[in-house]
Amino acid sequence: MKRRSLLRRAGALPLSGKIGLALVGFWILAAILGPLVAPYPPGAFVSEEVFAGSTSQFWFGSDFLGRDVLSRLLVGARLTMGLSAIAVAIAVALGTGLALTAAVGPRWLDELLSRAMDTLISIPSKIFALVLVAAFGSSVLLLTLIVAITYVPGNFRIARSLAVGLARLDYVEVARARGEGRIHIALVEMLPNMIRPLCADIGLRFVFIVLLLSGLSFLGLGLQPPEADLGALVRENVSGLAEGALAIMAPAVAIASLTVGVNLLIDAATQGNVK
Amino acid sequence: MSGAPAMSRWRGPLRLIVKRIGLAFLTLFLVSLVIFTISGLLPGDAAQEVLGQSATPEQVAALRHEMGLDQPGPVRYARWLQGILVGDPGQSLVANKPVADIIAERLPNTLTLAALAALVSVPLAFLIGIASAVARGRKLDRALNILTLSMVALPEFLVATIAVLVFAVKLLWLPSIALIPKDPTLAEFVRAYAMPVMVLTVGVVAQLARMVRAAIIAELDRPYVEMAQLKGVGRSRLIFRHVLPNAVGPIVNAMALSLSYLFGGAIIVETIFSYPGLASLMVNAVTSRDMPLLQACAMIFCAAYLLLVLIADTVAILANPRLRQG
Amino acid sequence: MANVISTDLSRRMLLGGLAAGMTVGGASGVTGRPKAGGRIRIASTNASTADTLDPAKGSTATDYIRHYMLYSGLTQFDGQLRGQPGLADRIVSQDNIVWNIRLRRGVHFHNGKPLTAEDVIFSLLRHRDPAAGSKVKTVADQFAGARQTGPLELQLRLTGPNPDLPAILAVSHFLIVENGRRDFSKANGTGPYTLHEFAPGIRTIVRKNRNYWKPGRPYLDEIELIAIPDEISRVNALLSGDVQMVNAIGPGSVKRVRATSTHSIMEIPSGLFTNLIMRRDNPVTANPDFVLAMKYLQDRELIKRALFRGFATIANDQPISPADPNFNPHIPQRPFDPDRAKFLLKRSGLLGVRLPVYAAPVANASIDMGTVLQEHAAQIGLKLAINRVPSDGYWATHWMRHPMTFGNTNQRPTTDMMFSLFFQSKAPTNETGWNNARFDRLLLEARSTTDAALRKEIYGDMQWIIHEHGGLAIPTFISLLDGYDRRLKGMFPIPLGAFMGYNFAEHAWWDA
Repeated sequence: MKRRSLLRRAGALPLSGKIGLALVGFWILAAILGPLVAPYPPGAFVSEEVFAGSTSQFWFGSDFLGRDVLSRLLVGARLTMGLSAIAVAIAVALGTGLALTAAVGPRWLDELLSRAMDTLISIPSKIFALVLVAAFGSSVLLLTLIVAITYVPGNFRIARSLAVGLARLDYVEVARARGEGRIHIALVEMLPNMIRPLCADIGLRFVFIVLLLSGLSFLGLGLQPPEADLGALVRENVSGLAEGALAIMAPAVAIASLTVGVNLLIDAATQGNVK
Repeated sequence: MSGAPAMSRWRGPLRLIVKRIGLAFLTLFLVSLVIFTISGLLPGDAAQEVLGQSATPEQVAALRHEMGLDQPGPVRYARWLQGILVGDPGQSLVANKPVADIIAERLPNTLTLAALAALVSVPLAFLIGIASAVARGRKLDRALNILTLSMVALPEFLVATIAVLVFAVKLLWLPSIALIPKDPTLAEFVRAYAMPVMVLTVGVVAQLARMVRAAIIAELDRPYVEMAQLKGVGRSRLIFRHVLPNAVGPIVNAMALSLSYLFGGAIIVETIFSYPGLASLMVNAVTSRDMPLLQACAMIFCAAYLLLVLIADTVAILANPRLRQG
Repeated sequence: MANVISTDLSRRMLLGGLAAGMTVGGASGVTGRPKAGGRIRIASTNASTADTLDPAKGSTATDYIRHYMLYSGLTQFDGQLRGQPGLADRIVSQDNIVWNIRLRRGVHFHNGKPLTAEDVIFSLLRHRDPAAGSKVKTVADQFAGARQTGPLELQLRLTGPNPDLPAILAVSHFLIVENGRRDFSKANGTGPYTLHEFAPGIRTIVRKNRNYWKPGRPYLDEIELIAIPDEISRVNALLSGDVQMVNAIGPGSVKRVRATSTHSIMEIPSGLFTNLIMRRDNPVTANPDFVLAMKYLQDRELIKRALFRGFATIANDQPISPADPNFNPHIPQRPFDPDRAKFLLKRSGLLGVRLPVYAAPVANASIDMGTVLQEHAAQIGLKLAINRVPSDGYWATHWMRHPMTFGNTNQRPTTDMMFSLFFQSKAPTNETGWNNARFDRLLLEARSTTDAALRKEIYGDMQWIIHEHGGLAIPTFISLLDGYDRRLKGMFPIPLGAFMGYNFAEHAWWDA
């Protein structure tokens, strides 16, 4: 039942949504299978030439150290997808959850949460991440948490503002008058009406996390070598930019297609049929 | 009697402003505590950073003493707090200068860059957001959607580097670094700021435009819009008099976030264009473990953020009658 | 044999150095007489609020350049890193312990005060005070005392013999400041330029000192010194004409710069190296088989080719570069030999250990070197984790503090300085924590010998000892790459560092 309706919904998507779905699907596949089909180990020095062009041996050429770009791209895609998806899930779950709590909870709780979030959000995110990485290091797990925490307050603010707006609407007041519990009001009456604007936010937040990761590697704070997410691949090969090396073009195109795909899909999926 | 509605219109916001100012001090205090706590976890201290690779233990000890770093943490924090309460952010540990002097040198730069970027990106975002909401589902909407998406599709440092390669190195139109002369002519000013503003705008417009679009569309789906249309209310009147005021809450909130990003998040733009702003100063303060300077930067970013949010909330209340009683 | 450095004696050497340098520095330097005038902007790699006008506290290339523009030293480096007369026109010693220094006449500080022996004594001895925060305190500790012997003459006494004193005095930290000066919010030196504007972390602007003690110099009217930390941005700023000279060009950008007709690269073969440090106080990294295996695992050719695009010299696990007159060419080159490494690891029984290696961007290319090492180690079954940590805090909290870390050492003006700072058993920065009695004995022996040839022989033996028994792997010496606008002329490489050993300002002229 559920699967069929999902399929039908995919078929009913507008063209942009189908493109988005295809892109996202491609990258999910790449993330799952990529490391298995990668022609070389991602760290191996396989080419004598650095920033080589495309050959039958190295489809996407070689990087600044003579490693295979395609293999590194496939492994990088898994890290970027996994890390960003988990981080965005944590950020949105925490942010929206706290926002709903604040909206339906007692006044003091709202104040407390809002101040705490203000405290976090007012420290610029990249600098905040920089301090945390300097203090705690940058393993995959820590980086995921740091990135997630960085984006909780942003999501909280938007979700809270939506929820507070909704809380004053007539039908919520009616529900309150009916004697519905706070949890019921938050999850049944409010959350569904927040989903559409929140999805736009989630899509962009996913993009921002992918980009924050690359920003962190620009500042030298990304994943530990030899692991590299897509942003780190762009960063480490940036000296090939002027000569238009494939080693930088390939991960840049990968980031662009991934972020555009995610947003197209979310846009299309939230267009019509949410209540 | 005629004064009463006007009074009630302002009573909510006024109460809010007074309350918020009180809370702002609480938040600033919390921020300073957070900064103090996590920076205590950082490896090394200002004395070691200043002396670097060639440090000998006795030099480190002497410098620590001179900087007051041999005092326990809480004592140092209390001393700093005492100073800040009377408006003195203290002496930079590393630069041997009052923190206020260092900030005074950089703050105008950051304000200028943020203001210029906001001036370009906010109207642009509104234009794009409203246009695509009104044209929802049609070609224009889709084209604008692709445009905003592609704006945030690439890492900021890559966008900036490509811009420099094209406009500074290849075409020689614009300088590659944002060096502002002492008394710039208008042309020098525009040329120097063109690329940093462009790169910042690219990052901010997309998010803002999409929030504007989403918020307006959410309103357009409400029953009262249909009713107004049935009553024959004109399209632009509908958008600007009815829909926008109601959608303003999430929009101004998103705006406050974007603007505070312009203020404190310009680190990559500052780095690539060698622009002496506050974000790179704060990174500098972190890496040199210069506590008073770090705290001062954090206080400024926090205050700017709180101010923006306060303005956003005030505007939201003023614009939306439903929130006004609260 | 007396050690004499004087203007008469060195004129020939100085000219030789200049001529040799000019050919390397590009054809531009030879043709045409220097012109006066012009304003340039140059960019180095980093600036921060720690930027200083106090030569003693200089810690970055940006600081050194600023200090050489504003102050002068008793001596100056030539292209071979020998100390040539500067503010001192004669430095003489019979025993390399007691040095008689005679100052040039008619030199004035920027504020008009004439230079005297008191200024020099103050400038030299202030480094010994820990509170002064001097970067060369350990070097200055060998100054036993100084006394004035005339208005322009003084006698400097060392704690032991040191034949290299003239070179040591040319280091930027020992530049001469005014007697009693402790406040460095302003700069009052005897250098070729006077301070016009100084904003730490932002810019330094200096203007021509019309009363400079070298007649006709400097040539430029004004120099603005800024920093552009990002390498790509720095190269872009050079190529777009926003700055006229930069340092630390990445090897990958050389082709781009050379492809233009307007800009050029100055390659400075230097003694700069990034090394893997294996500490003696850990049972694994103290194991001689393990250490030797790590040395055999250095893929020097790959590092030279891929990391530095050829702008490096293969090194042999000892710190004296082939460009150095004291280099010992008779030590056979250690090859890249994974099989031998594997055999040694097996023999040591340490093949299964898991060890972290600490690297940071501040140690030039160490992260990439670590990545290369990690990959080759994995292939013979040794698991190394590369722990990349931020640059800040690296020297204080990581460097030498774990069993395996990367170090990064600049060219030192003298072989003695290199050995005594990093290899003497009691030195605070004895990177590997080794304790080699023979090495320590040879170091003292070299200092007390007055025969230069014998000293070179001793230094050669010491390089053998480090190559064989030292706990560090040095894969390559790294060439410094400066990029400059071709209209900027008069420069030649000085291996101490970028921008003519940071001292380009009084040599460079603008051919507009």
